[in-house]
Amino acid sequence: MHVVIVGNGAAALSALESFRGHDRDSRVTLVSGEQGPAYSRVLLPYYLRRRLSRDGLFIRRADDYARLGAATEFGVRAEGVDPARRVLELADGRRLGFDRLLIATGSSPMRPPIPGLDGAGVHTLWTLDDAVRLDSVFREGARLVVLGSGFVALQAAWAARQRGLQVSVIELLDQILPRVLDPAAAQILSERLHACDVEVRTGTRAESVETDRGGRVRVSTSGGDRLPADAVIVATGARPNDQLLPECLEPDRPGIPVADTMETVVSGVYAAGDVTRGPTARGGPREIHALWPTAVEQGRVAGANLAGAGRSYGGSLSMNVTEMFDLTVASLGQFVEDEGDDVFEEHDRGGIRYMKIVTRAGVPLGAIAMGAPEGAVLLGRLRPFVRHRRALPDLPAFLAREDLDGRLAHRSAAKERTSCASLQ
Amino acid sequence: MRIVAVDPDACVACRDCEYACAFRQSGDFARSASHIRVNFYADERACVPLTCMHCEDAWCLAVCPAAAIDRDPGTGAVTIDATRCAGCKMCLLACPYGNIHFNAETGVSAKCDLCGGDPMCVRACISGALRYVDAEELADLRREVVDASLKRLLRLSKGVR
Ligand SMILES: Cc1cc2nc3c(=O)[nH]c(=O)nc-3n(C[C@H](O)[C@H](O)[C@H](O)COP(=O)(O)OP(=O)(O)OC[C@H]3O[C@@H](n4cnc5c(N)ncnc54)[C@H](O)[C@@H]3O)c2cc1C
Repeated sequence: MHVVIVGNGAAALSALESFRGHDRDSRVTLVSGEQGPAYSRVLLPYYLRRRLSRDGLFIRRADDYARLGAATEFGVRAEGVDPARRVLELADGRRLGFDRLLIATGSSPMRPPIPGLDGAGVHTLWTLDDAVRLDSVFREGARLVVLGSGFVALQAAWAARQRGLQVSVIELLDQILPRVLDPAAAQILSERLHACDVEVRTGTRAESVETDRGGRVRVSTSGGDRLPADAVIVATGARPNDQLLPECLEPDRPGIPVADTMETVVSGVYAAGDVTRGPTARGGPREIHALWPTAVEQGRVAGANLAGAGRSYGGSLSMNVTEMFDLTVASLGQFVEDEGDDVFEEHDRGGIRYMKIVTRAGVPLGAIAMGAPEGAVLLGRLRPFVRHRRALPDLPAFLAREDLDGRLAHRSAAKERTSCASLQ
Repeated sequence: MRIVAVDPDACVACRDCEYACAFRQSGDFARSASHIRVNFYADERACVPLTCMHCEDAWCLAVCPAAAIDRDPGTGAVTIDATRCAGCKMCLLACPYGNIHFNAETGVSAKCDLCGGDPMCVRACISGALRYVDAEELADLRREVVDASLKRLLRLSKGVR
């Protein structure tokens, strides 16, 4: 059997390893449009913050692929699939026959329909090449405008601020991080951004971007302002790289729909990671959960099933954590309440600035924790309850059992560093 | 492989394991540095030492986006390479037992590494609540515990004490 994996990210690597756990013998070829051994997208902001060197971004060594018995085709994009002949068409004209195929091509930054986004001063933060380019743009005193306020946008903003840039964030909606935080948490984070001299303009549309001959940029906003800048980062979301096999798509809906087995509607063709529209832990319609942990989970199931193991995926549960402006920001599952849900909310509990747990009939559905990293540990403890819909009728007792206050009181008394304080 | 087995019934909440671990981690007795934590519940009169179980299928290891978590080939321990960890905290959220901690001083995650095969917490335990045992043996132990509680429940349901 010849298995072909397209992609070299979280889903592809997880699938390859999982496949080898079930099948040591079959031939495997991994094709990736980008060069070399895998690096981690999640780490790119840490590189820009100078927390990691360029070498620190790589999560596999060149010989890891041979160790896993996979031939590699790096730097070659796949252009299409001929499902009848079971052939993958490569950009250099070669055709690669397969018995089973995994599409793990991830997603790409969305380009909103704003005139001027093709100018030289406009960047994205998605690939290693992007990060290396931005590293030379991040000069102290330069002005940066970030379009969007999701995880990638704000991590870029924080990195830029730490490197001494003047930063403005423009968000179309009325709050920052709309998909990751509720309004109350977003407000706390906005205040922190403000304290760090990051300008935040919510409810604002970027109308156009002009790049002049000297490479300087001007962003015109719906508020009638024209913001001068040295660079713009577009981070308004991502869309799946789902064009390899149009036969497996639904009309007018992004993302390759997959069954619990990660198989697409084309038999023997699987998909995993950001590119999929997959089952969720909540049940209901399939969703795109473009997150690293989801890609790892889906890759595992897909890899096992490429080997015929007959695994079934329990569905994805969104989980987010990152540090931004020295606040640990974590969220899990459904953290915005519907009518009839109960909300447990607390402010300023020993270093946790804000904590919210949404429950329905005693079953936790989701949560937010901001501030001390112990909040992320707590959400980790809640995760099995959310995933398996296990009741937790007495939340205060749960928190006491978890010894949350003890943990908070004993957490390393590292001075409350703030990135902006260290800037001044 | 061997892991640290915990018997909450034997634990007397002396916290010697925490001090031993903290000293091993930091050369100091600040309990915040300890990877083993004794949760003490005054109302229930119970105490439970909690430490990493080095799960066979370790989710923290699989999910780490920096490939900083690995299994020690000698001891089988799930370990964090502090030089690779970027401090993203995904492992904190991934561990269903809350056994990974964040070291705010160094900005990286930290957890039990079985002290390279000679866990200090077990050495320091005065009550026999912590034992460094074979994982298979532990499974047998657990079965005994479960059997015992099942018998107790059955007796209760029949009104026998
Ligand atoms: C800056 C940044 C920060 C992030 N931070 C977080 C975070 O903190 N937490 C979190 O959960 N998620 C985060 N994410 C999202 C996370 O990186 C993705 O969800 C994850 O990488 C998805 O894995 P994947 O394998 O599906 O896709 P990817 O990792 O994107 O891998 C796709 C692979 O496919 C290759 N490829 C694409 N098209 C083709 C083609 N036609 N032919 C051949 N090869 C192709 C690519 O080169 C790549 O190797 C972040 C993303 C970015 C960009």
